[in-house]
Amino acid sequence: MDEDTSTLKTQLYSSCEETANGDPGKLFTQEDLMALDVIPPKDVKKLLKIIQVLTDERLFAPVYMPSGLAWRLRPQAEAAKYKLLTTSDQVMAYEIIDNAGAEGAWQQDIKRRLNVQDHALRKALKELEAKRLVVQFTTVENTSKKMWIKANIKPSSRATGGPWYTDQFLDEAFIEALQGVVMSFIKNRGSYLSKSGGGGGADRRRSLSPVVPKKGVINGSSSPAALKSKKRTADAISTSDPTTTTTTTTTSIDLPPSSSPHKSRRTAVRLPLPAGYTEYATTEEITAGIQAAEVAKGQPLKREHVQELIDVLVWDNRVEEVRLGGHVVGYRAVRVAKQSTALDSRPGTDDFWEPRSNGLTTVPCGRCPVFDLCEEGGPVWAGGCEYFDQWLA
Amino acid sequence: MLVTKNAAELCVLLVNELYGQLPSRLMATLISKGRLTVPHLAHHTSLNHRQVRHGIVVLVQQSLVFTFTDQDSAVTYYEANVDGAYNLIRTGKILDMIDTKFGRPAKLLVHDVLLLGHAEIAEVVRRYKGERTSQKKPGDVDPCRNHVNGDGALSPFTDSEEPDPAGEAYNVLAQLIGLGFLESVSTMTYQSPQDFKSTVEQDVLKDFPNGVRGSKQASEYDTRLRERMREIRAERTSLKRELEMKIEFEPSAKRRKLLNGGASNGLTLTSGGYWLRDQEGHTVIRLNYEKCLVELRNQKLAEQVEDLIGDTTAHVYRAVLSALSRKISGCQADPSTMTDDELMGVRVKTGEVYEHLNPSVDVSAGIGTASEDEIDIRRAEKIRRYPPETKGSSLRATLEEGDELMASDDEDYDHSAETGNGSAVNGSRESKADVVNGDVSPRSYRLRWMRQHLLILAESKQGFVRHCGSDEWTVDFSPLLQHLRYLELDTMIEETFGRQGLRLTRILREKGKIDDKTLPTMALMRKPDVHVKMAEMEMAGFLDVQEVPRDNNRAANRTIFFWFFDEERTLKRTLDNTYKSMVRCLQRLEVERRKKRNVLSVTERKDVKGMEEEKLRGDVYNEYIQFLELEKKLLGQVSRLDDLVAIFRDF
Ligand code: SF4
Repeated sequence: MDEDTSTLKTQLYSSCEETANGDPGKLFTQEDLMALDVIPPKDVKKLLKIIQVLTDERLFAPVYMPSGLAWRLRPQAEAAKYKLLTTSDQVMAYEIIDNAGAEGAWQQDIKRRLNVQDHALRKALKELEAKRLVVQFTTVENTSKKMWIKANIKPSSRATGGPWYTDQFLDEAFIEALQGVVMSFIKNRGSYLSKSGGGGGADRRRSLSPVVPKKGVINGSSSPAALKSKKRTADAISTSDPTTTTTTTTTSIDLPPSSSPHKSRRTAVRLPLPAGYTEYATTEEITAGIQAAEVAKGQPLKREHVQELIDVLVWDNRVEEVRLGGHVVGYRAVRVAKQSTALDSRPGTDDFWEPRSNGLTTVPCGRCPVFDLCEEGGPVWAGGCEYFDQWLA
Repeated sequence: MLVTKNAAELCVLLVNELYGQLPSRLMATLISKGRLTVPHLAHHTSLNHRQVRHGIVVLVQQSLVFTFTDQDSAVTYYEANVDGAYNLIRTGKILDMIDTKFGRPAKLLVHDVLLLGHAEIAEVVRRYKGERTSQKKPGDVDPCRNHVNGDGALSPFTDSEEPDPAGEAYNVLAQLIGLGFLESVSTMTYQSPQDFKSTVEQDVLKDFPNGVRGSKQASEYDTRLRERMREIRAERTSLKRELEMKIEFEPSAKRRKLLNGGASNGLTLTSGGYWLRDQEGHTVIRLNYEKCLVELRNQKLAEQVEDLIGDTTAHVYRAVLSALSRKISGCQADPSTMTDDELMGVRVKTGEVYEHLNPSVDVSAGIGTASEDEIDIRRAEKIRRYPPETKGSSLRATLEEGDELMASDDEDYDHSAETGNGSAVNGSRESKADVVNGDVSPRSYRLRWMRQHLLILAESKQGFVRHCGSDEWTVDFSPLLQHLRYLELDTMIEETFGRQGLRLTRILREKGKIDDKTLPTMALMRKPDVHVKMAEMEMAGFLDVQEVPRDNNRAANRTIFFWFFDEERTLKRTLDNTYKSMVRCLQRLEVERRKKRNVLSVTERKDVKGMEEEKLRGDVYNEYIQFLELEKKLLGQVSRLDDLVAIFRDF
């Protein structure tokens, strides 16, 4: 390698580094590299030569794009690791695992791509493992797959399943508990808990609308809604504060404590807030609330995770979106008239003090296992039907 | 109405329940064989001609068959009116509705009309007079008593002054016809809608002796046809419009009373009453089911608001709907015969809503308090001039649709609430104070609070109300009903498959087709659990699955499974299941009746009827009471199932 090549090589690499500006995924096409003004213009031959050198030294990793070939930078330290490799099998296997990044590579895939014998591959991987370059891991998407990843990075959240997984298992108790926290947060923020049952009460009788002036009889910060939105959220979370991540499953099976609010439903109801209410809980606020309550074990829950929880509650028909103007979306509980008045919430058990029903949920036929067979003169029919017997009894 | 096996069975059972075996046998034959002449009917039912004619008379009288006479051969064909037969199930509901809305005399009159099927006005009045006079005798049977679903517990008349029953009947009939609950019958009403349409088409075609050629003539033909349809409709409703106008010109206090179903003792005839007595005694009338259905829809919608938002808001919503429905003649009006008003979409002013609000409702209840800086008045008062577009089934899409419209005119919100009470009060005809719980509170106070409820309704996810102009409100029924259909489906799904089953269906409904790998991640559920749930729901017909093989040998592990929610099919299936469940309830009732035959035959006797408690032996009486309980339970269930049919099919 002549001196010229060697300097150009260093120059090109550092100028690429500068352009990439810390983004490890930045790709360079041939034109991009030319445009860096390191190689004399129009000297494509030279450029290709330099690229070849850099690729050989593992400082450039080729990436095949639909539009053509491009290169990604590899940090010096990473490139140096290739020097430790002794066989071509090792090199090729390592290359695949290296390129797979945080997603990891499936042993079966590596085998297919290298087109080598099984034992050869296993040997190569063992050697790589011994050099502490790669490790094996399992992905939640398919626990039986043998996956490999570079030893110095952590599997992606897709592979680990993010915060929802504990040792490759979906932590349902944890999810349920968090859903309860999110639900109670949304519920208490987005509805008015009236103890008197009817709504306003005497103090409001003479006001002209549910919207009380900021500075009036009622001080803005101590108005019921303000109190509710600023303070109750805190104790809502502390009441349901699950130190319970492990105990939720048991408590949700025997649930005597939560049956008490049912009896008081005549006197306490939840009321809708006036139209145009702006304090419905947003994803950010819920995230902050959860973080403050320190419910989540270990890693703090990110916004996107909380969003997943909220989405599920929306699909469960427990909360609904409210547009707060612009692109801000808040959430409130559905069916506010029948929402349970309890401050905390355990999903699925007693969200509403009166479950919805309709003709088909109350008639025996609506949930009859032999509905399709039922026929006059058939094996089952209405006259001799035991489901009806029970229902009419 | 698409007749499935279950629907047909249901109709036959209903006819049997009310009119006995002979008509129901004819009905069954007509449904399965299509239109038939008397000889053919006799042939298929193995009855003789005389019997067939007897049965047919009953069916014609009750509008349960359509007739069609071929002009050339003078042969008359009969065709089952399946919708008519189904409507029998709503008799009880309609009577109750008329009772709450217009009072006892109206209920009795409608009941008479129902018994007769269709009848001359003078005849209805005569019967009514007879009943009112015999009412005075103690122990007489309430004629409403034995009707299907009709609740027998009614308080007796308590009018202090001696009323004039005939005058009362004319007044109430004028009111009911004017508001569209009863309609006059013409020969055309006996024709099936298709026959009617083709008759009119033939008629119009006569103006084109050379046939309709080219696009110009085609469009001319279309306009003519539409005009003709409208003319016929106008003819049909001429009596209604006459009486409506008469109500309109009554002095305002009386007018309001008439519109909201105030009673009259008949001592003075209203101008509509006069008109009926003197001009229209021989006009034949019958119940207008379509209009009644509008009223039943109002009830159902208000119930939904009560369940979802709260009961005070539901009262306000009732007022909105009752104000609106004066201008609505049917739930699913045919655009070709719609009035201009209907085509534009009906809307009401805040003041009109207020006129329909029950004065005893405390509108200041039912809303939580918030301080001013927590309220975005522009968003609350947002005016949406255009109805949401229902694209696909995704409800989220609808929301975004509406938002775009919103963004286009940002200044478009209702300022009337800001400027104080004055402008919020529209058409203030009356400024006297209303009394709420002992507190004297002026009309504007109530109006303001009522408006807050309207705004909450407008902000609801379901879109119960649309704030469509400054101080104007409307309801977009079709997207709203779509929402409610989903709500009912969801209720069933959650009941049967649990919260997680509901979650999975709603994900599919929102996202369309999804493969079985993505679903567990979104639903935060374990894969095997998802698969079990999905299989269960597919078996029950709530979901469909599509297999897309990745290669030619179709091995299961090389196949992608896409799940999806087929709305159309699910609704159809659920509707048919509902029919079937109704049939089962009625069949069970038949069986129970047979079991208690001996008790029931005694109660049928003239000397026992109405005085069961005194005449029956203790244990027999108890058995009888038990049976009544059971009957009530079964019929009540049928009526709840009918609520579902209404939501899925009619509203
Ligand atoms: S009648 Fe009995 S067996 Fe038949 S569908 Fe109904 S519940 Fe099932």
